[in-house]
Amino acid sequence: MTVDFIFEFLSGLLDGFISSNSLLIISMLVPCLAIFGFITVYALVVIYAELKVSSFIQDKVGPMGQGVGLHAGKWGLLQPIADALKLLLKEDIIPSSADRPLFILAPFMIFIGAFISFIAIPFGESIIVTDLNIGIFYILGVGSIAVLSLILAGWASNNKWSLYGGMRSAAQIVSYEIPAGLSLIVVIMLAGTLNMQDIIKYQAGGIFNWIIFDNPFVPIAFVVYFISAIAETNRTPFDLPESESELVAGFATEYSGMRYAFFFLSEYANMFVVSAVAAAGFLGGWHSPIQGFMDSPAWGVFWMINKTGFLIFVMIWLRWTLPRLRVDQLMNVCWKVFLPLALINIFGVAIWTVVFNS
Amino acid sequence: MSEDLQKLIDEAVKKALAGDDEAINGIEDRVTRAKAKAALVKAKREQPNASEKSSTSESNEEQPAVENSENVTSKITKMLDYKFSDCLDGELHSDFIQLKPEYWFEIAKFLKEDPDAYFDSLQCNTGFDLGDGMLESRYNLHSMKHLHSIEIRIKVNIDNPDIPSVESIWRVADWFERETYDMFGINFTGHRDLRRILLPEDWDGWPLRKDYEEQETYHGIVVPKVKEGWE
Amino acid sequence: MGVVHGQEMVLNIGPQHPATHGVLRLQVKTDGEVISEITPYLGYLHRCFEKHCENVSYEQVIPFTDRCDYLASMTMNFGYVVAMEQLMDIKVNDRVEYIRVIMAELQRIASHLLAIGVFGLDLGAFTPFLHMLRDRERIIDLFEMTCGARLLYNYMWVGGLSHDLPKGFVEATLNFLDYFEPKVDEFENLLGHNKIFVERTADIGIMPAEVAINYGVTGPNLRASGVNWDLRKDNPYSVYSKLDFNVPVGKGIKGTVGDSWDRFYVRLQEIRESVKIVRQAIDQLPKDGDVHQSMPKKIRPPKGSIYSRTESPRGDLGYYIESDGSDTPYRLKMRSPAFTALGVLNEIAGGWLMSDVLAILGSLDIVLGEIDR
Repeated sequence: MTVDFIFEFLSGLLDGFISSNSLLIISMLVPCLAIFGFITVYALVVIYAELKVSSFIQDKVGPMGQGVGLHAGKWGLLQPIADALKLLLKEDIIPSSADRPLFILAPFMIFIGAFISFIAIPFGESIIVTDLNIGIFYILGVGSIAVLSLILAGWASNNKWSLYGGMRSAAQIVSYEIPAGLSLIVVIMLAGTLNMQDIIKYQAGGIFNWIIFDNPFVPIAFVVYFISAIAETNRTPFDLPESESELVAGFATEYSGMRYAFFFLSEYANMFVVSAVAAAGFLGGWHSPIQGFMDSPAWGVFWMINKTGFLIFVMIWLRWTLPRLRVDQLMNVCWKVFLPLALINIFGVAIWTVVFNS
Repeated sequence: MSEDLQKLIDEAVKKALAGDDEAINGIEDRVTRAKAKAALVKAKREQPNASEKSSTSESNEEQPAVENSENVTSKITKMLDYKFSDCLDGELHSDFIQLKPEYWFEIAKFLKEDPDAYFDSLQCNTGFDLGDGMLESRYNLHSMKHLHSIEIRIKVNIDNPDIPSVESIWRVADWFERETYDMFGINFTGHRDLRRILLPEDWDGWPLRKDYEEQETYHGIVVPKVKEGWE
Repeated sequence: MGVVHGQEMVLNIGPQHPATHGVLRLQVKTDGEVISEITPYLGYLHRCFEKHCENVSYEQVIPFTDRCDYLASMTMNFGYVVAMEQLMDIKVNDRVEYIRVIMAELQRIASHLLAIGVFGLDLGAFTPFLHMLRDRERIIDLFEMTCGARLLYNYMWVGGLSHDLPKGFVEATLNFLDYFEPKVDEFENLLGHNKIFVERTADIGIMPAEVAINYGVTGPNLRASGVNWDLRKDNPYSVYSKLDFNVPVGKGIKGTVGDSWDRFYVRLQEIRESVKIVRQAIDQLPKDGDVHQSMPKKIRPPKGSIYSRTESPRGDLGYYIESDGSDTPYRLKMRSPAFTALGVLNEIAGGWLMSDVLAILGSLDIVLGEIDR
């Protein structure tokens, strides 16, 4: 629990000089800044990864360069930085008939929604901003702020296409939260707690203690959760709200420059959050697959980031392979396939656990 | 397709043939509705053939039958001359049929539905400026069943360029006639929505006529007439 | 049923839109998601092709025809040249005929690759588009080897060709065909049998054969509706009667006959057939013959008119040429296949959802340059 750790450290150092309330505030700000820095670096890395992975899949070359200072750096590493700079320097256009306060509010809200779910993600054994007892529940709940901001963005742009995109995405995210939540109930049932660190500690002891191997019903829950997570983050094959070829850019049609960047930054941040929850809940979190091998707290961060990164890679892979589903097919799949499947899973896991008492 | 579905479609088609249009439109599932519409079209096609055969059988011995031969044009000319008196305009030609504009709609209907002619495909409709104050509209017809084609030409005076529209017979004529109207100014009477198709709605003049002069400006933009010196 | 009717919204798709294959404006009346009526507005790319042709000589018309359907320029030239040679009664030698067939069929493969790729792109499948474009690049390299141009060739002239085949063309083409044939199976698996793609296209935009013939739709769109009509077989021109190939017809494998998946599949099958034709044509290609042999010194056709049709990748391309005995055409009308394909859109797309409309538009394979001329 990093906030407490920093608070004790600072109060040990500066007790007399600064009041304990302001020390508390400082010790809360430091991890948030760290998270902010992490998100920024992560965004650059994942944008580069997306470009390169998509190039390999599509038989292209992707960002390339001849060396530092020329084009995009060696292997094109400067490309994401160039992209970020370009977006920062773009002219900020707000359509005159748009609803100004809501238009400006929407990107901030969506970023806040993605950002505050980071404080409950466990990166390592004691590396977590705050270890809430309702960790998983909190992340699921806070992820719904995105819906509100997407509707705001679609409405405030005063554009029929954006409205379409906003409506579609609201329906999609709200619907897919249900199978996602129900699949996570399987994890909570087996671990017996909502606390993220305790769920991970339940999976100690090597790869076969991970929750995904606990029970034949759990891999199904994992798949249902993962696909619902992709739908929640608006990635292809569920990216109808921002589908380029149909609605130009959907709810983000009227946004330019840094505001546009916020939408897509928060999409990538969301991807990280849902992959981290899947890794922590199903794949053992910061435990190494072989007990005792690379298992110290420092290595924990390595394992966590790797597992999350692998799931993000799968998301990128799916994006460039599959066409997109139409909105009514999307809803069909959610309500008629995933929801019954998730419910059956819960019963199956419960019955199996009781029968085999494992 | 399951049996229930097939029964549903058959019932809906029967009702629609009897005149109840809501039978097919009332089907909820979009896919089934589309299949029912396709089945209805097929059923309608098989119906008129039966009625046509009975109506033309009485005059069969005098009408020449149409074959896959080179004299398709002359045979059709004879058929038309027999069936519609005074429809041919001027002397007979060997490659095309010159018609008067007045009976064009009935002739077109006959050409499409008569089982010996059966021109179910309008290939092309071209407009012509013949000079001397005459405009012409040429139709290339083709039969998918008998695999023969003819060309029909209709001449009108430039002061009164009215030709009956055949777009309710061959639906492709809808856009073809709009284009001919757009370029030549031939007015197709009875067309459901005759307006310009390639040029803006408020353009002046009929461009493909030989005596066409471009307008000076269009919404304030100068329309250039002298194009020398353009690099 | 309990249908909730909202207010009808009028929406404009285009003229600037990533999915409308050119500059096209579709005015759509919808009540939320279901479309009730579509009105296309054309003319954004109208370049007065027919008026120009009345002022230039017959040879100078050929580059203009290139630019009408810029994705299938060889077949545009081919149609014009066949019409002129019929009008002037010119007989070209066999080498010219076979080279023309090779070029036209390679162009058909390239055009269909682009059509299928863009169809997938409209539905969100980004990768097959790039793979198909990579293979199309190799065909364009072959064209560049022959006549120097990548997109607008001006290759087929009245009475012959502009250049003979360069050295190494035949080997390069055979290499390409050997490399390309297994790729078509890859495309079929990656895109065609993909469950999501099938869900998006099967049973969507069904065009019954009657409607297709009545609306003048030709080419792969007509064949997908079950009508076996291909001008290369039913009205053969050039040396197509000496070549052996099948005509793929839609059979409703994944849904009903005449749906969008059928239109996609017919094009895929046609690519395979064209590969067969190119191989046969290369086999039967005469070793010697002068491509400039039958070219007249001055093109001055006798008075008269002709309407001739050839098979372009989009359908039945017709040229109506009327000559008054001078060097410039009196009237030249190009009957473009995509024009009629766009005309049938309102008929088959009413009652579907917005995303379906773009899928149907993609399956019809239109090129605005040809529609607007």
